[in-house]
Amino acid sequence: MTNILIQGFALSGLYALVAVGFTMIFSVGRVLNLAHGVFLMLGGYAYYSAVQVFGVSKGAGLVLAVLAGAAFGVLTCAILVRRLEHNPIAVEISTLILAVVMQAVIVVVYTSAPKSMWPIVSGVFRYEGVFVSHNILAAMVVSWIVLGGLLVFVRRTRLGRALRAVSMDRKGAIVSGVDPHRMSLATWAISGALAALAGVFFATYTQLTPGMWVAPLIIAVAVVVVGGIGSIVGSLVVAHLIGFMETVTTTLVAAELRGVFTMVLIIVVLIIAPKGLFGREEL
Amino acid sequence: MQLARPLLGWLAFGVVMCLLPAFVSTGTVRILIFANFLAIFAMSWDVISGRTGYISFGHPFLIGIAAYTTAMLTYHLDTPLWLSIPAGVLATLVGGTLFFLPALRIRGTYFALVTLAFMELMYQLTQVIAPKITGGTRGLSGIPSLVSGAIPNYYLTFGLTFAIGLGLWFILRTRVGAALAALRMDEGAVAASGLSTIRLKLFAFMTSAAVAGVGGAFYVHYLGSIAPRGLFDINFLFTILVAALLGGSATVAGPILGAYFLTFLLEYLRPFLPGPERYVIYGTIALVVYVLEPRGLHAIAHAAVRRLRPSRASAAASP
Repeated sequence: MTNILIQGFALSGLYALVAVGFTMIFSVGRVLNLAHGVFLMLGGYAYYSAVQVFGVSKGAGLVLAVLAGAAFGVLTCAILVRRLEHNPIAVEISTLILAVVMQAVIVVVYTSAPKSMWPIVSGVFRYEGVFVSHNILAAMVVSWIVLGGLLVFVRRTRLGRALRAVSMDRKGAIVSGVDPHRMSLATWAISGALAALAGVFFATYTQLTPGMWVAPLIIAVAVVVVGGIGSIVGSLVVAHLIGFMETVTTTLVAAELRGVFTMVLIIVVLIIAPKGLFGREEL
Repeated sequence: MQLARPLLGWLAFGVVMCLLPAFVSTGTVRILIFANFLAIFAMSWDVISGRTGYISFGHPFLIGIAAYTTAMLTYHLDTPLWLSIPAGVLATLVGGTLFFLPALRIRGTYFALVTLAFMELMYQLTQVIAPKITGGTRGLSGIPSLVSGAIPNYYLTFGLTFAIGLGLWFILRTRVGAALAALRMDEGAVAASGLSTIRLKLFAFMTSAAVAGVGGAFYVHYLGSIAPRGLFDINFLFTILVAALLGGSATVAGPILGAYFLTFLLEYLRPFLPGPERYVIYGTIALVVYVLEPRGLHAIAHAAVRRLRPSRASAAASP
């Protein structure tokens, strides 16, 4: 029981961090970024290069990974998404193509052999016979801090409120003097940075491979679809729903079945309540 | 006269492709076989997604149902192929109904995500549920083939591609085709003109599923093996989607053109870039063409023809 609680919270924290950037882009720009998993992967590989190849300190490695994610987010927005903004389906398709191209780029640079990453925080946490790595606990704490910070940012700061304005009513925001293009650039930068941060933790949790972008993309889709596309709080709740569901399935039913329930959940929720359980489309 | 020009185009296409094996190497013929399969899959995708605007991210799901059904029937029960292949197509039609149910309520982004979830679900299920029957993660191999050798397989697959292409072209140039295109533009307007959008959608989904099923069943008997990773995979989906979009969606010639173009692009890059760089170039070309001209090569070719022969522009009906 304790085992399920600890593992469930840790996994859910990681999933919330994975999904939050994806939900931001949807609520501000009304587009789905299917290259989201690639942002995570780039963060992971950037950290790997910095820390395990060039021997930079772990903190600097994290900063570099986050900067790389933000830069890639801005580039994707400026070069690709800007041209297709009027057509959400075209954005989805082109970001999917971009993801496959980036996967090929990673294979060229790092080969397709999997790389294992050193844990960011080493050591194991023991409690009543339950073992949890410090690394995944760190991921959980980081995700709480980041998500809390994001909520404050969106509700309290000028830039955050401008983002919310665009996500609620684009025309109204323009009339009030908000430049939606700058806002979408800012969103893509934040989303890229958060994804890269999540990617570093995700890669230490699993492994670095060129195909690793698919799993976090599916998680982000699941969290966001079930939670109602675009709602930060909804995503947070559903990340825990899915995280606990997977932990319970893994420990009590069968480890191989954990993905099955997530997929069934996506399908059922989309058919019964297409707007998600917390159906809203703004931040 | 309306019919004569495109039919002439189909005839020319058929004659050229039938004569082709006499002039090219066996290696090229094998590449062409894959191009034919890709063309079938791309045409199938286009019937749902290009025509009606319901973007499917789960087409490998439909292809996989047929492929797995016929593979398991022949592998475990020694079912003759003339029985197992139709059984596979039938199973795909059932799968197509599963696709159709969400389409009654949702469209656009949400529909695309449900189909993606179907594909991932299938990927997980084939490995977990009854791995003795599906072969689990490693899949099944040693599946009997229909004909052997490159040339017979080429004619078989080209025959399928040609028959499916011509059949779809005939169906989609009727009023049904026009209604499906209208569905993409404004579903409310179609319903308002007294047409049943449900029946139209069902028609498009069943046609697409049938084509995917035929393609998938023959594909597995050509390959001789099947595994979940190669099939229910985003990269496979990517190839199908790009073939249809690059060639030109909502046309029949487009997906065929796109399939041949993509397959040969990948092959002709091989001598220059033997390593994985090839896939970067290939994907980048797909991305650039898609961003600059979302209507694809078919539209680019049309624009070129129009520029060369401005007076006959209106006569250039598309096959």
